Amino acid sequence: MKLTELGIKDLRELLNNKEVSATELTNTFIQNIEKSSKLNAFIEKTFDKALIQAAEADKIIGTESQKSLCGIPLGIKDLFCCKDVKTQAASAILDNFIPPYESTVTQKLWNEQAIMLGKLNMDEFAMGSSNETSTYGPAINPWRSPESDDFLTPGGSSGGSSAAVAANLCAGATGTDTGGSIRQPASFTGTVGLKPTYGRCSRWGIIAFASSLDQAGPITKNVTDNAILLRAMSGFDPLDSTSANIEVPNYEKELGKDIKGLRVGLAKEYSLQKDDSEAQRKLEQTIFLLENMGVEIVEVSLPHTEFALPTYYVLAPAEASSNLARYDGVRYGHRANLDTNDSILELYEKTRSEGFGTEVKRRILIGTYVLSSGYYDAYYKRAQKVRNLIKNDFDKVFKNVDLILTPTTPTSAFTLGSKGTQDPVEMYMNDIFTVPANLAGIPALSLPVGLDEQGLPLGVQLIGNNWQEPLILKTAFNLENALAFERNPKNWWA
Amino acid sequence: MDIDTETVLKIARLSRIKITDTESSDIQKDLNRIVEFVKKLGEIDVKGISEFNFGETHLEDMRQDSVTINDNTNDVLKNTKSKNQDFFTVPKIVE
Repeated sequence: MKLTELGIKDLRELLNNKEVSATELTNTFIQNIEKSSKLNAFIEKTFDKALIQAAEADKIIGTESQKSLCGIPLGIKDLFCCKDVKTQAASAILDNFIPPYESTVTQKLWNEQAIMLGKLNMDEFAMGSSNETSTYGPAINPWRSPESDDFLTPGGSSGGSSAAVAANLCAGATGTDTGGSIRQPASFTGTVGLKPTYGRCSRWGIIAFASSLDQAGPITKNVTDNAILLRAMSGFDPLDSTSANIEVPNYEKELGKDIKGLRVGLAKEYSLQKDDSEAQRKLEQTIFLLENMGVEIVEVSLPHTEFALPTYYVLAPAEASSNLARYDGVRYGHRANLDTNDSILELYEKTRSEGFGTEVKRRILIGTYVLSSGYYDAYYKRAQKVRNLIKNDFDKVFKNVDLILTPTTPTSAFTLGSKGTQDPVEMYMNDIFTVPANLAGIPALSLPVGLDEQGLPLGVQLIGNNWQEPLILKTAFNLENALAFERNPKNWWA
Repeated sequence: MDIDTETVLKIARLSRIKITDTESSDIQKDLNRIVEFVKKLGEIDVKGISEFNFGETHLEDMRQDSVTINDNTNDVLKNTKSKNQDFFTVPKIVE
């Protein structure tokens, strides 16, 4: 097995045993990235910084100062502000923005002595489900159907993160998830993605999309790595008033414990359209494996599920229209060239018109509409109420079961350019199984379970109640061992 | 159709986004499609349901109201395309 195919835990062992140095490891990943430009995953490379960090790590390894991620090369989604590193949220409006500060989550990773390889591609401002709204063009899924040379989406919005991890361009990556932006890309690329409980990871320094839904989380090659990275990213932050002052467990310690007696719910509202599909068979196989582990499968109902997407597509754009008001061309990013007599209004309007992409404009406009006088009650206020009904559904179900099992997405990865060109709502339907967890604020993980008829990865989602990440990870770990998913796509890109 | 041409222009103005006449009809079509989709929310009875989510306030979690000094004017001004001394500059506002 190649060095870069190993996960965080295995690399940590090699580093600790001095079988490889952090500098050698970093150089190996850098070579992989340089050979993989076809995937368009890294949009800003920080190799000089990485090699300085690696040299530091090599001095520390084996000493008492060594921390949990010492010498581990990571990729960072472009939504995280990194001090003195170009950060644009994959938007032209943040043209050449160099943050003078570091996001809390990435600072925590550097405090744990991880190495930063660069910034990863994503949908513009995390608004998209295919990576196609990025100003840099989409990242490409390293997975392809054996029968076709079509380029597939790595999912969105954290598509650069999922593509980079799947293609072994980094040991792990950060993502963010507002409506499924970690889990759907993980499902499409055979990787493990976790959206933690709202408040688990600080949002400070993460460019805001919909603040009541946004949450950072890890995308990794396996469940153990996910547990390791989640622990490093989590924790209370006085700079984020919604971050929770709750102790961060050692998630890794939970792994390997048995899950006998666990009750797992199957919600009838989360069914796949085709009963005879490979996706359905993989889901049934997962249920069978759980039962073999002594898990009790229980039918449950979340009756308001069908309202989740419409609720999300009112609330997320409403919050976005407010959050994105700050891009005015005055203080940072793109600034339009003005005509002599142009006023400040033209500065705002021209800058925002030139800087934002089509989908971002669409969401700002719809958000402004649902918040505007005369429509606020019918859309925004009503959606807020329905959000509570969706949350209540989960509260009720979690009185009866410990976890809920669903497919992560309705289909495997689709061809770039094939969705949403005529009708934006067609693209929104991708988030149907992932959005409810964001609305309820609860944690959910996508785990690869196998390949479909086209040879493409499929994922299942484990949803837990607030702060149940340890249980989710423990269950996912047991399933991962039983499923033995072969996670490396055939290399066609390098 | 919920959103007419005039409404498109109004919300574009409120959003501070300039849209051209040619863009306007596509935007109108897309926005109406989205409104059609989210109208499903009208089917549900929300009488007596709170509009506030996760509404617990933990007063003990309030931070100390303390003064912090950020002497980083140069850092803050570093990213602007238009400045004069320690100020951002914009087109003339006052006549």
